[in-house]
Amino acid sequence: MKNLFTKISLLLGMILLTGLSLWSQDGGSQATIADEEKAQIRFNGLGRTIINRTEIGGEILASDSSTVGQVTDGEFLLDLKVNATPNKSSEVQAILRLRNEFGGFFGAGQSIEVRELWARGIIADFVKYRVGDMDLAMSPYTLFSPDEEGFVNKPGVFQPLKQVIDYEQFYTDENTRRLQGGKIDFGLNFGSVLEDMEVSSFIARIRGTDFTTIPNRLITGGQLDLSTVTFDDSLGIKADVGFNLIHTFDDLQSGNAVTGIRNTVYTVDYDLTVLDKDNMSLNLAGESGRSEVKRAERITDNEGTEENVTIEGTEEDDTFMDVGLTFKLKKQKLTISASYIDIGPDFFSMGAQSKRIEFENNEFRNNKTYYDRIGTNRLERQVSLFDLSRDRELYTFRTADRLMAYDPRYSNTLPYGDATPNRKGLKFGVHYGEEMDKINAWVDGAFLTEIRGQGTTELKDFTLIKAAADFNIHQFLDWKNMIKATFGVQYESTTRGGGEFEVVDLNSTLIDLGLEVEIFSKFDLLLGAKLFNSEGRDYVPILTGFNDVQDFPAPLVFDDEETMLGLGIKYEFKKDIYMTLQYNHFESVLGTDNPDNYDFQQFFVLYNMEF
Amino acid sequence: MNNIKILYVFYLFLILGISGCSHDTEPEMPNLVDRFGPFTGLSALTASQPTVDFAAGETVFFNATFNKNVDWILEITGAVSGSVKRIEGFSSELNASNATWDGGTTEFPLFRAEETVNVVLTVPEEGEFMETTTVETLSSKQYEGLLLTDFEQELGSNEVVGNFEFEFNPMTTGRQTDIPAQGNFYYNLAGMDDVVPNFFVGLMDLKAELAGGGGTLDFPTTVPEELYFNYFIYSDRVPHGLAIIEFFIDGNGTGTYERDQDTQTFRIAEDIDLNTFEGWQLMSYPMSDTGISQEQLENVVALRLLLISNMNTQPSPPLEVAYGLDYMIFTEGSALQL
Repeated sequence: MKNLFTKISLLLGMILLTGLSLWSQDGGSQATIADEEKAQIRFNGLGRTIINRTEIGGEILASDSSTVGQVTDGEFLLDLKVNATPNKSSEVQAILRLRNEFGGFFGAGQSIEVRELWARGIIADFVKYRVGDMDLAMSPYTLFSPDEEGFVNKPGVFQPLKQVIDYEQFYTDENTRRLQGGKIDFGLNFGSVLEDMEVSSFIARIRGTDFTTIPNRLITGGQLDLSTVTFDDSLGIKADVGFNLIHTFDDLQSGNAVTGIRNTVYTVDYDLTVLDKDNMSLNLAGESGRSEVKRAERITDNEGTEENVTIEGTEEDDTFMDVGLTFKLKKQKLTISASYIDIGPDFFSMGAQSKRIEFENNEFRNNKTYYDRIGTNRLERQVSLFDLSRDRELYTFRTADRLMAYDPRYSNTLPYGDATPNRKGLKFGVHYGEEMDKINAWVDGAFLTEIRGQGTTELKDFTLIKAAADFNIHQFLDWKNMIKATFGVQYESTTRGGGEFEVVDLNSTLIDLGLEVEIFSKFDLLLGAKLFNSEGRDYVPILTGFNDVQDFPAPLVFDDEETMLGLGIKYEFKKDIYMTLQYNHFESVLGTDNPDNYDFQQFFVLYNMEF
Repeated sequence: MNNIKILYVFYLFLILGISGCSHDTEPEMPNLVDRFGPFTGLSALTASQPTVDFAAGETVFFNATFNKNVDWILEITGAVSGSVKRIEGFSSELNASNATWDGGTTEFPLFRAEETVNVVLTVPEEGEFMETTTVETLSSKQYEGLLLTDFEQELGSNEVVGNFEFEFNPMTTGRQTDIPAQGNFYYNLAGMDDVVPNFFVGLMDLKAELAGGGGTLDFPTTVPEELYFNYFIYSDRVPHGLAIIEFFIDGNGTGTYERDQDTQTFRIAEDIDLNTFEGWQLMSYPMSDTGISQEQLENVVALRLLLISNMNTQPSPPLEVAYGLDYMIFTEGSALQL
C-alpha cells in the first residue's frame, strides 16, 4: 500500500511541474479580507436573551416529594465580534463573550470569556494560512461531524432552540468540526488533462495535557483535490479525485503519560461525471480507504532515562468502501442516487465517528442540566426528544477516542453517520425540488447488515427510511404571506435471528410535523409536533479501548412513546433579529401505566439578534 | 478518448487497490447465549479410564458437556490421603485438552497409590449442579529429579545428630506418621530453647548417601541457576520459630561428610519464618540463590536442618517451636510442579 501511495505521490509531483498558472483559494473563514490596503475594524456579533420555565408533572411525581415542580433558567449573552484587517493580506478576529445567567447578580453567574480567536492571511498571493479557531471538514470518513439524531425535518417552532445549540457547539451545515490550530491551503490551475488542484493541510490540538497521565492529543491531516478538464464536451465527461489523510496522535512528550493512541485514516474520494447535459447528468462517486489504530508507548531504559522513541503495541486496521451512482434530471429538479457501502468492523476514524450527542460521559452518565434524576428512587432520567431539543449540555464537539454511546431508539442503523463501522449494504436517495419551490421533498434510505456479529454469529439487519417534504402553501394559493407546512418521518427497524437470547427486534418511528403561518408581515404563528415511538429490544455493547466489546449488559427493552407539541409566535424585526414566545408540551410514556411516566410543560421567550 | 481510458483504469486501480473489503468476521465476545442463556448439562461426567497408573506415565481425563460456556471446577479428592487436585476452566465441554489429570496435587498431601479418588464437577454460577465419578490410582505420580529422601526409610547412619541437641523434644523429633505430605512418614524437628537461651534449639545433618549414591550428591545438573532445591515444609504457625537449611561441601577432600571437618556451608539469605504459613508448603529455589558455584555443587556432601527459637520475641518461659520436612528433591530446569 505504501508503494502505491509513493507512486501516486510521484505522479502528482510530475503533474505539479506541468502547472501553468497559480491561484489561491479561501481558507474557509467566514469574514472577508479587505480589498484595499486600508486598515479596517468591524464590530459584529450576536446578542441573545432567553428565559425558560419548565414544569414537570405525571405519574412519576405521585410518590416523589423531593423533585421540584418547576425550574426557571435563562441567560443574557453578548458575543462581540471584533474583526480587523490591518492590510490587504491579513485579518484577525476575536469574539468576546459576556454572559450573565438568569438570576445571577453581583458577580454570581457572570462570565467573560474569549469564544473565538483567529488570524488568517495570504502569503505571497499564493498560500493562505489560518491560525487559531477554525471549522474544518474533510470527507465523511476522515474529518466530519455527522448530523445528530432525533430530527428529520425540523418544524419551524422547534428551530430557535436548536439553533442556539448549533451556535453554542459550533455546528454548521457543512458538518465541520471546531478545532484549534493552524492550516494552510493553496491551489493550482493547469491547462491540459488537469484543470485545477487544491491542497490543504492542518494541525490542531484537540485535548490538552494534565501534566500527569493525560498527554496532549493532536490531529493533523490534509487533502489534495484534483479536477480534470472536460474530456468530451458533448457528454461533459470529467472527473474529480481527492486524496485525504488524517492522523490523530498523543504527544507522549507532554506530561508523564507513557501510553497513547495513534489513529491514521487515508482515503481516496472520486466523482466521475459520466454524463452532463442540459437536462440530465450521471455521476459515479465514492470514497474508499483504510484506517489504522495503534497503541504507542514511551519507553525508558533501566536507568530511568527516557528514550525518545515509541513502540507500537496492539494494532487494528480495516477498510471501507462507498461507491454509488447519482442521476439528475435537471429540469425536473429530481435527483436519484444509490450507493453500496462496506465499512469494516474495525474501521476506526476518530475525526469522523465522534458523535454530536454525548449520551454517556466518562462517568457513564449523561450531562442533563435539569431534572436529571427524578422519582422516589432518584434514577437517572433517560434522554428524551425534549432534552435533545433544548439541553445544550448533551451536545459536544469533542473528538472521542472510542465509539461514543448511542441510543438505539433514535438511531441504530448509522449512529456514527456514514462512517459507522460494521455495516454493509445499499443506500439510496430521491430528492425533488429546491427550498423555495412549492414542494421540496426527499427520501433517503438504507438497507444494511452487520459484517461481524456481536456476541453471536447472527447478524443484525437494519432498515432505515427517512422522508421529508416542505410545502410552500402560499405559492399554491398565490398569497403574499408565507404559509409553510413541513413533514418528516423516520422509520427504523433492526432485526436479528437466532436463539431466544440472540433475537433483536426493535422498531422506531419519528414523525415531525410543522406549520408556519405569516399572519402579518414578519409575524409568524408557529405550530409543530414530534411524535415518536419505539418498541422492541436490542443489545448495546459496552466498549473498551480499540472499540473492543467489553460486555453485553442485559438487553434494552423499549415500549416508549414520546409526544412533543409546540405552539408559538415569532416576530422578525429584520433579518436575523427576532423574538419568539413559545409553549411546549412534552409527554413521555414508558409503557402503559408505568409509574415512571412524566410530562413537561415549557414556556420560553427568546430574543436573538445578529448584528 | 485515450485520456478517458487512462482515467478509467486509474480509478479502477485506485478503488480496487485501496479497498480490500476483507474484514475480520469472528464474532465479538462474550457470547450472548453464554451471557444470558439458561444452563443445562448435556452429558454426565465420565472418566476416560477406571484405573490409572501414574508411575507408568498414564493420565486420566474427564468428559462432560454443557449447552453453553461456563466457569466450571473439577475437584479430585483422595479418599485415603485427603489430597485435593483442582482443575478449573471456562468452556462448554470437558475433554482431554482441558480436564486431564496427571496425578498432580493442588492441596497437600500428595495422592497415594492404590486409593480411590472422588471426582466432583461443579459450576459456581449454577449452585445446584453437580456431577460425580470415581477413579482408582494404581500408583502415585513420580517426579523427575534427584530425591534426597522422602523419609519413608529409616535414616540410620545417614542422620547425624550432635551431642548437644538436648533442647529437641525427643517425643516429637524424628520420623513421624501423623501428617505426612507424601507417603507415610515425614521428619519433624521440635523443641524449646529453655536450657541455654542462645536462639539455637538443635540441628541434624543428612548425608548425601541418603540419595542412594556415593558420598556426594549426583545432581541432574551442576549449573546452579538450573538446579532447583524443592521440599515440603510444615508449620502450624506457632510463632517465634525459624527454619534454616544449609548445604555442606566436601572441605577435606574425602568424598564424604565428616562432621566438624567439612565446615563450609551455603544457604539462602532469608531464614524461613515459621509464623508466616500454616500446613504443608512446597518451597523451591534455584541453588544459585545460595551463592554456591558449579564446582562446589559437585561436592555437596550433606544438608543441615536447623531449628531456631527467636528469643527476642519469645515469652518467658519460651514456647516450643517446630517444623516438619518431607520429600526433599532436586530438579533440573524448573521448580517442582505438583
